[in-house]
Amino acid sequence: MDIKRPHRRHVLSLVGGAAAVGVSGRAFAQAEPPKPTQIVVNHSGGSMGTAMRKAFFNGFEKKYGIRVVETSPVDFGKLRAMVDSGNVEWDLTEIGGQDAIRASKLNLLDKVDPKVVDRSKYPPTAQNPNVFASSVYTTIIGYRTDVFKGGTHPKSWAEWWDVKKFPGARSMRNHPTDNLEFALIADGVPKDKVYPIDFDRAFKKLDQIKPHVTAWWSTGQQPAQLLLDKEVVLATGWNGRFYDVIKKGGPIEIEWNEGALKQGSFAIPRGAKNPYWANKMLAELAVPQQQAVYASELGYPGLNLESLNFVDAKVKPYLPTAYLDKQFWISDEWYAENGAKAQELWNAWMLKKA
Amino acid sequence: MTTRAAWPALPALILLLVFFLFPVVRMLGFSVEAGTLDWYAKALGEGLYLRVFWNTFEIALLVTLFCLLLGYPLGFLMATTTPGWATFGFICVLLPLWTSVLVRTYAWMVLLGRNGVLNRTLMESGLTTDPLPLLHNFTGVLIGMVHVLLPYMVLPIYGAVRRVDPAIPAAAAGLGASSARIFWRIYLPLTLNGIFAGSVLVFVLSLGFFITPALLGGGRVMMIAVLIEQQVRETLNWPFAAALSAVLLVFTFAVYAVAQRFTQSEATR
Repeated sequence: MDIKRPHRRHVLSLVGGAAAVGVSGRAFAQAEPPKPTQIVVNHSGGSMGTAMRKAFFNGFEKKYGIRVVETSPVDFGKLRAMVDSGNVEWDLTEIGGQDAIRASKLNLLDKVDPKVVDRSKYPPTAQNPNVFASSVYTTIIGYRTDVFKGGTHPKSWAEWWDVKKFPGARSMRNHPTDNLEFALIADGVPKDKVYPIDFDRAFKKLDQIKPHVTAWWSTGQQPAQLLLDKEVVLATGWNGRFYDVIKKGGPIEIEWNEGALKQGSFAIPRGAKNPYWANKMLAELAVPQQQAVYASELGYPGLNLESLNFVDAKVKPYLPTAYLDKQFWISDEWYAENGAKAQELWNAWMLKKA
Repeated sequence: MTTRAAWPALPALILLLVFFLFPVVRMLGFSVEAGTLDWYAKALGEGLYLRVFWNTFEIALLVTLFCLLLGYPLGFLMATTTPGWATFGFICVLLPLWTSVLVRTYAWMVLLGRNGVLNRTLMESGLTTDPLPLLHNFTGVLIGMVHVLLPYMVLPIYGAVRRVDPAIPAAAAGLGASSARIFWRIYLPLTLNGIFAGSVLVFVLSLGFFITPALLGGGRVMMIAVLIEQQVRETLNWPFAAALSAVLLVFTFAVYAVAQRFTQSEATR
């Protein structure tokens, strides 16, 4: 920043400030910190970035005259390195659910300012002091509609495991999260009783499906692509990725039953350069009308429960919040404790010859 | 190298020292931070990690072998053909280098899939009845990696063949040597340097491969870089990640040292 020539900008902001006072006296009373020229928001990128720009960033830029610089990908290791080294590049970053819990424990996050961000319309579970719940996504079953016509597709994990009745190649995520839960549910565990996870039972059940999984996916766009290429006829995947293909007329549909719900989150790294404006951005992310715009683009609804009122009726069936009781929540707390162990067991299981 | 000749290299040396060597040493320091070698015991003692190290080694070796089998004839041809064809060859070899690895990997997915271009052509022409399993397995990883790394083999070999004095094979031919004999007795010994240089490059680069095995292997092919990445980004167990990296680094140096000995003994013979 140029410290040596503050005069002109200073004068300008004083004039601006005076004008603001003229409109409403509150702006002066709040004593806003000076506006930076830009803030940096880190997110997953791709179509999510495009939707965020449309739903939130453009409006923010227009409202405050602060440019929103986007970076990606989301990287917990990098977040920790930034905070530890005191050189925090991001003002706001997306963060995974279990990572958010671990980041809070490691004291890597700033608090969300309740005076700036209104979360009164959020469910109580989504009001973590350090973490802003931005959206809901779920891992569910995607299937090819030309292979499973008229509702003949598997409608539960037990049926997903039933390769006699529902033959065909499958794809699942190359990760313990979701799959351990799905295996237990397929094995008869009620979906509200999967935690704490019984590793032996889960992996024993996974042994049965392993030969029928053609591809273990590692990036979010793979499942939809695998279905489109007829590489597989059934794939687990994130609802928004399937929604994107369905919107474009692809021969894919979603089965929501027993889906694994997760919360997408944003947080302010400790030591961020513009924490006040990061909070202002969170306030923008909490506006129900804007959340509706975002949900219609991607299929990932926000947690301001009023936002569903602003969504088109055609879009609603593709939002996971419409099927909350059919699904279950992934326990971020359990993974924050047992994630490393689960990952190690998963790797060993993947290496095992079927 | 005299001391005076070293001066112009100083900025680069300082740059490497500060921005490369120091961070590497600092990072490796994590692995012994606790004052014990526990993380090394885990890296070298547990079946899972040994298996993955072995997998990595095996894949790197096979990729190097295939790159050599494909790359030598190509490099040789480019070095001995007309300048026009040589330029064409260079474009073919270098163009993929400028394309992102991710794009090339996805392109292979389109080509090699069950309903991919290759399998559909084979089945429509009646050569096969069922799709060949080319993707989401070891074969897919091998094809993808050989494609990405081939230029690193071709270029040193091209250079080595170019350095062979054309008078030598010409003289041999004049004395009645067959082309096979010219190759085995003249070109091969004189281009061993290029072969070793290319092989070391390809082998070492293979050891750190990451995106290609994850996507083309369908999750079944696990290489050590994938596990290190998990430890750094997901599990945040940096000491263990550092220990795994150290083992990989030592192993890489060992391979390099062995190759170096070979090339030197060839060069001084």
